[in-house]
Amino acid sequence: MATLLDLKSIHKSYGAVQALNGVSLTVREGEVLAICGDNGAGKSTLIKIVSGAEAATSGQVFLRGKEVHFASPADALACGVATIYQDLALAPRLQVYQNIFMGAELTRATFIPFLRILDKKKMSQAAADYLGRLNIEIKDMKAPVASLSGGQRQAVAISRALRWQASLVIMDEPTAALGVRETAQVLDLIRQLHDQAVTIIIISHNMEDVVAVATRIVILKNGLKLGECLTENLTAAELSRMIALGDLGDRNIIRQTAVE
Amino acid sequence: MTEKYQNFLRRYGTALGGLALFIFFAIAAENFLNPSNLLNVLKQISFLTILAIGFSFALTTSELDLSFATVGSLACVVAGGLIYHQFSPILAIAAGLFAGLAAGVINGLIVTRLKVPSLIGTLAVSSIATGVSFWITGGVAFVGRWADAFLFLGRGQLVGIPVLVFWTLIIAVFSLFVLKQTRIGIHMIFTGENDEAARLGGIPTQKMKVLGLSISGLTAGFTGVLLASTLSSADPTAADGFMLTAIAAVLLGMTMIEPGHPNVPGSLIGALTIGILSNGLILMGVEYYVQDIILGMIIIASVSVSASTITKAAFSV
Amino acid sequence: MKCKKIGLARTAALMAVFFLTTTQAFAGDFKLGIVVTAMSSETHARTAHAAEETARKLGWDVTILDSQANVQKIVSNLENLAQAKVNAILVCMGKPVETEAGLAAVSKAGTPMISVMSGTSPHVMFDITVNEYEVGAEAALYLLGQLNYQGHILTQRYESHVGTRIRGKILDVVLAENLAVKVIGSHTMAKTKSWREDVRKGMEALLLQNQGKFQGIWASFDAQAFIIDDLLQAQGHKKGDIVMVSIDGGQETFRRIRDPNSLLTASVFIPFEAMGKKAVELMDQIVNKGDKKEELVTGPYLFLDALMIDKYNAPPEGEWPKM
Repeated sequence: MATLLDLKSIHKSYGAVQALNGVSLTVREGEVLAICGDNGAGKSTLIKIVSGAEAATSGQVFLRGKEVHFASPADALACGVATIYQDLALAPRLQVYQNIFMGAELTRATFIPFLRILDKKKMSQAAADYLGRLNIEIKDMKAPVASLSGGQRQAVAISRALRWQASLVIMDEPTAALGVRETAQVLDLIRQLHDQAVTIIIISHNMEDVVAVATRIVILKNGLKLGECLTENLTAAELSRMIALGDLGDRNIIRQTAVE
Repeated sequence: MTEKYQNFLRRYGTALGGLALFIFFAIAAENFLNPSNLLNVLKQISFLTILAIGFSFALTTSELDLSFATVGSLACVVAGGLIYHQFSPILAIAAGLFAGLAAGVINGLIVTRLKVPSLIGTLAVSSIATGVSFWITGGVAFVGRWADAFLFLGRGQLVGIPVLVFWTLIIAVFSLFVLKQTRIGIHMIFTGENDEAARLGGIPTQKMKVLGLSISGLTAGFTGVLLASTLSSADPTAADGFMLTAIAAVLLGMTMIEPGHPNVPGSLIGALTIGILSNGLILMGVEYYVQDIILGMIIIASVSVSASTITKAAFSV
Repeated sequence: MKCKKIGLARTAALMAVFFLTTTQAFAGDFKLGIVVTAMSSETHARTAHAAEETARKLGWDVTILDSQANVQKIVSNLENLAQAKVNAILVCMGKPVETEAGLAAVSKAGTPMISVMSGTSPHVMFDITVNEYEVGAEAALYLLGQLNYQGHILTQRYESHVGTRIRGKILDVVLAENLAVKVIGSHTMAKTKSWREDVRKGMEALLLQNQGKFQGIWASFDAQAFIIDDLLQAQGHKKGDIVMVSIDGGQETFRRIRDPNSLLTASVFIPFEAMGKKAVELMDQIVNKGDKKEELVTGPYLFLDALMIDKYNAPPEGEWPKM
């Protein structure tokens, strides 16, 4: 598998606090990479740097082999890196299709240059199509997002990544604050997205979920990378223990990757 | 069924209240239903409506504009002053509009660049606008017999209907179109709904806020020009009195159609309701202070229904 | 939501009851509409209330409409009264040039109009007023006379109102001819809702700055003079220390002129009550008794006399000067 994203020696400090202390990692095309670790391990900071929300203090980010500097989430988006935030960043009062197309509406030109007319019909159809691809059924594209269930809202947020034709989707705690059934639904969504040949980075506290959807896991601790492991035959309990002990033992594959 | 009924009431309750008021005056107030009186009401609410629509653009992006009334006065003085000094009406109109737009842009920059809350920033600009108006006029209104072409803007009639009514309709329809059918419109709505989400989605939210406040300034400028024309004079406080009534119209509008949110048809019905109330009370011979008391009650009642949007706009940076 | 609906309904019901009880409902035969520029101004309110009282004695129905100093509101008030088909309209302290559109609407509806202290308009029968130029001259000459045409004075001006502006200009003319009297400090009041505070601050500074150096004070209207009077009293000045002259008149003015502690020396009394009363009486004569306007008033103005009031002719409490 080709390398999609390459992070080299990322440092990030907030004043005297060192959040990331030289983390390097690779994301390969088509994988679902989970980033795990205790609170304060540096997961969120790392994600913010990749998504363009914050700049690294030092270190380099390569996308498809080219160094990139994301000044804003919009910058990252333009390069095909989409982030789905924990709070989903939706506008609840607005309609399903409007939310899916937020900031990237389909329009037609008018005689006034900056006044572009919304192509509501086209957007509505495309929105239904995206949701269909994720196997999610929302009958009314014009229903306000506020009327949807938690799982459906996740689907709307994830559809946005499809709309952006993102090649890399970053998901921040996608199953936090969801019930059992909705969690299953969201995990299914992630698999569907994966089937669409989208590469995914996921942050989660829920080991069950991580083991269920991820193909590879990176474990951070105190701003450093502890190691990496594959999820084959890995149980959630085992993963928890590795994080708690701060030791991956035999499962650590980091040395092998280095040799490659 | 009951849910449907409740939803209908939620969206159109206030409009039905306005209708009830209309019917009440039709029965109780002599001469109310005269076509000339109804046209009179439509004409009288035009300034109010145009200002209210502008204000709702600012509020759509979750910013308050408390300067629109005095900015309207400033535009009135600028346009009137140029006409008074024999400049061409076209130049005077353009200058009036520009004064309004400039004030709006300044409001926008103060809010987005200097990070001053709009509640405070626009109030400050309001004070500046008043100061400039008095500076220009020295406190004395420009008055005189002005060019007919200029006076037509505010006093003219087309097919027996005051031109002011057409201006209001054109602005209302165009605003509705911009907000509901265009990309800029939905970007402003997203900015107001969820600033952070909109920004993460790539919408230039700061620009949208500047735009919302600029439109408010521009409509205030237009109102000022219309006032100068209608009154054929330019008083440095000409539009000041519209502040509270225009805000009341918007607030009343926020209790209907899209409850809790500023919307053009709502503002229109809100202004119409206030206009009908004021006219009907006068026709019935009610004491003058009653209007003020009722206006205050309308504001309280409306805000109690749709408080969140206003509070957010008032107290967020 | 349901709660709020009920709340709204209750408010609406309250509003309905409220304005039904305050409705005069135009029961009588003759309806008079009074359009006032700003009821918040004491002189406007005095004129309107005197007119109202006179009209009620004649058995008329009266509606007073306030325009809150908003020119456009004067216009809409006039238009609404024309639509209400009232029998006559009285305009108090109007602005005929700016509100021409409203006056035209009334005259088109055939409603007779008289104005008070407004200036003239072709749509209005006549304007009842005092001659502001004369009033200004009386005040200025009284002040200079008391100073024996020499010394220093402070002035409190107001340029945003036509009447007070004229008074100030006439003072300037008088001073230009009498060079031994010098203005050593002047404050111009801003047109704001907090004008009282503005006057207080401005004059306080001038009084301190020029302590002991001035013998007279000129104020463009009485309510300004009251504020200055209070400042001077607080600083321990006694009647006679300083000559203070202003214009407008009224019960509070007379009280201060009589008051041995007050520094207000004199004021030109403008008969606001008499003007309001006269307007209604003349309206009655013309509209109901068939008198010809030309026989009652020649020209566009009916001038009433203003009267200089000082301690020698100030009326006792509750009474008005004998004109």
